[in-house]
Amino acid sequence: MPSFRLLLLALVVCSGLVGLAPGVGPAAAAEGDQPRVVRVGTEGVYPPFSYRDPESNELTGFDVDVVRAVAEEAGWELRFVEAPFDSLFPALDSGRLDVVANQVTITPEREARYLFSTPYTYSRGVVVTAADDDEITSLEDLRGRTTAQTASSNWAKVAREAGARIQYVQDFGPGVELLVQGRVDAIVNDNIAVLDYLATSGNDEVKIAGPAGEEVLEQALAFTRADAALREEADAAIAALTEDGTLGQISEDYFGADVTVEGGTTDVDVRASDSRTRWEVLQDTAWPMFVGLLRGTLPLTVASFAIGLALGLGAALARLSAIRLLDWTARFYISVIRGTPLLVQLFIVFYGLPQIGVDLDPYPAAILALSLNVGGYAAEIMRAAILSVPRGQYEAATVIGMDYGQSMRRVVLPQAARTAVPPLSNSLLSLIKDTSLASLVLVPELFREAQVTAAATFEYLPLYALAALYFWIVCYLVSLAQGPLERRLSRYVA
Amino acid sequence: MSELIEVRGLEKSFGEQHVLRGIDLTATAGTATAVLGPSGSGKTTLLRSLNVLETPDAGSVRISDAQLDFGAPPAGKAAYRRAVKALRARSGMVFQSHNLFPHRTVLQNLIEGPVQVQRRDREEAVADARTLLAQVGLAGREDAYPAQLSGGQQQRVGIARALALRPEVLLLDEPTSALDPELVGEVLEVVRDLAEQGWTLVIVTHEVRFARDVADQVLFLDGGRVVERGGAEVLTDPREERTRRFLSRVLEAG
Ligand SMILES: Nc1ncnc2c1ncn2[C@@H]1O[C@H](COP(=O)(O)OP(=O)(O)O)[C@@H](O)[C@H]1O
Ligand SMILES: [Mg+2]
Repeated sequence: MPSFRLLLLALVVCSGLVGLAPGVGPAAAAEGDQPRVVRVGTEGVYPPFSYRDPESNELTGFDVDVVRAVAEEAGWELRFVEAPFDSLFPALDSGRLDVVANQVTITPEREARYLFSTPYTYSRGVVVTAADDDEITSLEDLRGRTTAQTASSNWAKVAREAGARIQYVQDFGPGVELLVQGRVDAIVNDNIAVLDYLATSGNDEVKIAGPAGEEVLEQALAFTRADAALREEADAAIAALTEDGTLGQISEDYFGADVTVEGGTTDVDVRASDSRTRWEVLQDTAWPMFVGLLRGTLPLTVASFAIGLALGLGAALARLSAIRLLDWTARFYISVIRGTPLLVQLFIVFYGLPQIGVDLDPYPAAILALSLNVGGYAAEIMRAAILSVPRGQYEAATVIGMDYGQSMRRVVLPQAARTAVPPLSNSLLSLIKDTSLASLVLVPELFREAQVTAAATFEYLPLYALAALYFWIVCYLVSLAQGPLERRLSRYVA
Repeated sequence: MSELIEVRGLEKSFGEQHVLRGIDLTATAGTATAVLGPSGSGKTTLLRSLNVLETPDAGSVRISDAQLDFGAPPAGKAAYRRAVKALRARSGMVFQSHNLFPHRTVLQNLIEGPVQVQRRDREEAVADARTLLAQVGLAGREDAYPAQLSGGQQQRVGIARALALRPEVLLLDEPTSALDPELVGEVLEVVRDLAEQGWTLVIVTHEVRFARDVADQVLFLDGGRVVERGGAEVLTDPREERTRRFLSRVLEAG
C-alpha cells in the first residue's frame, strides 16, 4: 500500500514539473546561411506605432514597419510577440525576446540595464486633459494632481518628477476613460500617440492641453546587455536605412513628417489608424475572438482541467494518506494555491521561474499555472467526496480481496464522483473564465483579441461585452452538460 | 488438524479497553457456529479478527491451510501482507448493514470479486452468480440496483456476494438485526439452507430460536471471554448464570 501512495506522490510532484522542460531558449545565432531568428516584442495595441490593421488584422504600425525594414537590411528573420507594455521588459529579461520595438524611450535607468540602437523617433510629450479643463496647461500644473500612466513607461516617470500622483493603467485607452470620468486629472503621453487617438476615436471630451516640457525624447530598439552583436547589426541597418531614405519615407507615410532624424519637425499630421464604425469593428473582431476561443480559451481549459483533476486527485489521496510526509506536502500545496491569487501564480511561473533557469513558453506556462490552481481547489473537493463514502464500502472491498488501488478505482472513487461533480463543475466554470488571465502571459486567447482591438479602436464597451457574451455562452453550454452527467452518476440512487 | 477453523488465545485492546481476552475457537468443516452475547462483549471484533478487518494484538488464527500468528507475525511487510491476503481469501463476510456496492447492479456486485480479484472467466462468474441468486431467491433481479431492493433482499444479495468468492467459511455478523421484523424470516431461511448444504458458518446473532435449530456449536461471550460453549443445548439449558440471564432477556424481547 505505501508504495502505491508513494507512486501518487511522485505523480503529484512530477506533474508539477511536467512543463518545466526547458522552453525555447534565446534564438541561436545564425549558422551558415540560415537567417537569425529574432523575436520582437511589441504591444500590438499602441496605434499608430504598433497595432493590428483593421482590415487584415495583421500587425502593423510605424515601429513594426521600422523593425521590418531593419530586419530586411540586417538579414534577420522576424518573429513578433505581442504583449502588454509592462510585460515586454520582463520578457526581454527572461530571454523570451531579443528586441523590443515599441517606442521605448531612452532613459539613464534603462541604459544601465539594456542596450539601445540609434534612435529612430524623436518625439515630445504632451499633457492631455478633459476638454473643459483649463487649469492644466503644462507639466508644472501637474504638481499634486493625478495622472493615468502605464507603470513602466517613461511618461510615468516624467509625470512623477513633475509632482503628480500616478494612477496605473494598462494602456492609453483605459487612461482616457478615467480622464473622461474625472477620476484622474491628466495623462502624459507621446504627442503622436495622442494625435492618433484623437483622430481615430473622434473623442472630443479630451484635448491636448500643452507640452510636457521642452525636452525632445529619443525612442530606439532595446536589446539585452548580452546581445551587443545584435545591436551592432541594428545600428548598421538603421544607418543604411537613414542614408537611403527608407526610414524617412516610413515616417512620412504615417505622420506626414520625418520624425526619424534629430532636430526634425515635431509638427506631425496623424491620420486615423482606424476609421471603421462601431458595428464594423464588432463584425470584424467577432471572428478573431472566436479563433482566440478555439485556439486559446478552449485548449487551455481542457488541458488545465484534465491535469488539474489528476493533480487534485493525487493531492486528495496524499492528504488522506497515513504517511505524514505525503499529507504535509499536499497540505502545503493546497494552502499555497488557495492562499495566493491566480494572477500572482501565473506571473511567478511565467516571469519568475525563468530567473532560476526554468523557461516556459506561454502555453505550457499558462497550463502549468492554471492546472496547479485547479488542482489545489479540486483536492479539497475530492477529499471531502472520498470521506463521504461510508467506511463499510472500504471494508466490503477489502473482504472481497481488493487492494488499495482496486478499492479506490472500483468502489470509492465512482461513489465519490457523484458527490464531487457539482462543486467540480463550479471549478470548471471558474477555470473557463480564468483563462482570460492567460492574455497577460502572451497567450492569444479570446479576451486578448478583444483587448487588442479595443486598444486600437477605443470601442471598449461593445468589444468587452462581446467577449463577455462568448464566455457566457461557453459557460452556459458547459452547465447544460452538468445535469445529464449528474443524473448518470446518480442513476443507482433510488 | 481435522478442524477447519482454529483460533488460539486471541487478544485485542482498543486503547485502554480490553475487548478480546484470550478467545479460543475451533470449528469442524460443515458445521455452523453461533456466537451470542450481550452488546459490547466482543462478538463483532472476534468475527472481524478472522478476516483481519481488525488486527488482534496476540493469538493466532488458522482457516484451512492459511495461518497467521499475530503474536509472532511473519517478518517483513510483504510476507505479512501475503499471509493476511491468504487468510482473507478463505472466508466470505456478510455485514450487518450489507455494504453492497450501491453503484453496481446486483449481478455486478456478485461478479466484482470473482472477476476483478480472482481473475476468473467472466462468463463463468456470471453463470455462477445467476445460480447463487436463484439459490437466495432472487433470480430475475440481476439488473436491479441495491437501492431498488427491500432490506431482506439486499441482505440476501450480500450473502450471495460473499458466496460468489467460493470461500471455505462464511462469516455473518448479525445479518438480520438491521432488518424490519417481517423481513428477518426470509434471510434466516437462506442461512438455514446454507447450513443444511454443508457450508461452514460462523454467525453472530441474537436470534436464539434460530441458533438453537441450526447451530452445531454455540459460544457465549461476555466481557471479551468465552463464558460458555457447547452444543445447541447451551441455549436450552445453560450452566452459567450470565448465559441464563442473557437468554431470558433476549427471549422476552423477542
Ligand atoms: N474500532 C474500534 N475502536 C474503539 N473501540 C471499539 C472499536 N470497535 C469496537 N470497539 C469497542 O469494543 C467493544 C466490543 O465491540 P464489539 O466487538 O463490536 O461488540 P459486540 O459486537 O459484541 O457488540 C465495544 O465496547 C466497542 O465499543
Ligand atoms: Mg456487533
